[in-house]
Amino acid sequence: MTDELLVVRAQLGERAALAELVARWRLPVWTYVRRMLDAERADDVTQEIWLAVIRGLPRLREPGRFAPWLFTIARRSVTDRLRGQYAREHEAVHEALAAGDMTVDDPVDAAVDRAELVSLLSGLPMPEREILVLFYLQDLSVEDCAQICEIPTGTVKSRLNRARRLLRAHLEEKGYRP
Amino acid sequence: MTEEPRLSAREMIERLEPALSRARRVRAVVSLLSGLSGTAFMIALWTGEPGPLPSRTQVVFALLIVACLAWAGYGGWLLMRRVPLFATDRVIAAWIALAASLATTAALATMAVRRGTGLAPVLGVGGLFVAAALVLTVLTHTRRAALLRRARELRRTHPASRTHTSGN
Repeated sequence: MTDELLVVRAQLGERAALAELVARWRLPVWTYVRRMLDAERADDVTQEIWLAVIRGLPRLREPGRFAPWLFTIARRSVTDRLRGQYAREHEAVHEALAAGDMTVDDPVDAAVDRAELVSLLSGLPMPEREILVLFYLQDLSVEDCAQICEIPTGTVKSRLNRARRLLRAHLEEKGYRP
Repeated sequence: MTEEPRLSAREMIERLEPALSRARRVRAVVSLLSGLSGTAFMIALWTGEPGPLPSRTQVVFALLIVACLAWAGYGGWLLMRRVPLFATDRVIAAWIALAASLATTAALATMAVRRGTGLAPVLGVGGLFVAAALVLTVLTHTRRAALLRRARELRRTHPASRTHTSGN
């Protein structure tokens, strides 16, 4: 069954279709979130995302474009979580500095490093990692990635190029040669 | 990567259950409609009083209107922020709204006739409620029909999906 038919049936109010939609997209959504956050928060955020999806589903006007819409919601939830975390870390760094008991660590680097599961991906900055996950792992088009990340398609392409370059550099550092 | 989400699909659906609860949806619709009907009723009673009311009675009327508005606000908030109404739910909700509008208008009109107070404002306001409910009913039916049509088209294009058909 196509995603579009499942979405249409879910919009009509069929619980079975909704359950099938969740079952079908549960893993891709969780994988995306997990690439961006640690395991504990990935589960929480995934639940938040599905809640937002269920609440927003009746208003989805283009059921055929479910995947980009779903990942737009996922991205927003991840961004919200990271924003909160950056703010807390920033505050903690300032407090610690004021107390004079630590050296300066970049909170962005700290957040990036938190995704430990895929060592290569975790070495990439968040924007490049996100684009790689959406484009290669979720198999979304450049246009869909642009819509999800709210950036022009040209920026998606340049981020993909940069991500590939960075990945190549990381691989070469680890001793891989093309 | 061998890591997997801790929640299975079934567990995830169970966790989403509160947002999908039928009782909660009914509560939201009933709160909104009874709040609105109650507000209209209390305003009609208050303004239909023939003589000047003691200030204490006026305070009671005002408090009752605030209570009705609070219920309407609660129902509206549930529907906007907490409980999704799918196409079929919306059709049912629109019919309930139409029935509630007609009943409230009829009750207020009867009261106005018995008291000999102005019938025209009651019919005017009641007519607005009924018209809004009618528009909602037509819109929700149209939306549901469009979804059903699209589902049929998609089933024709992908016949294998017929086996998955199930009710709510």
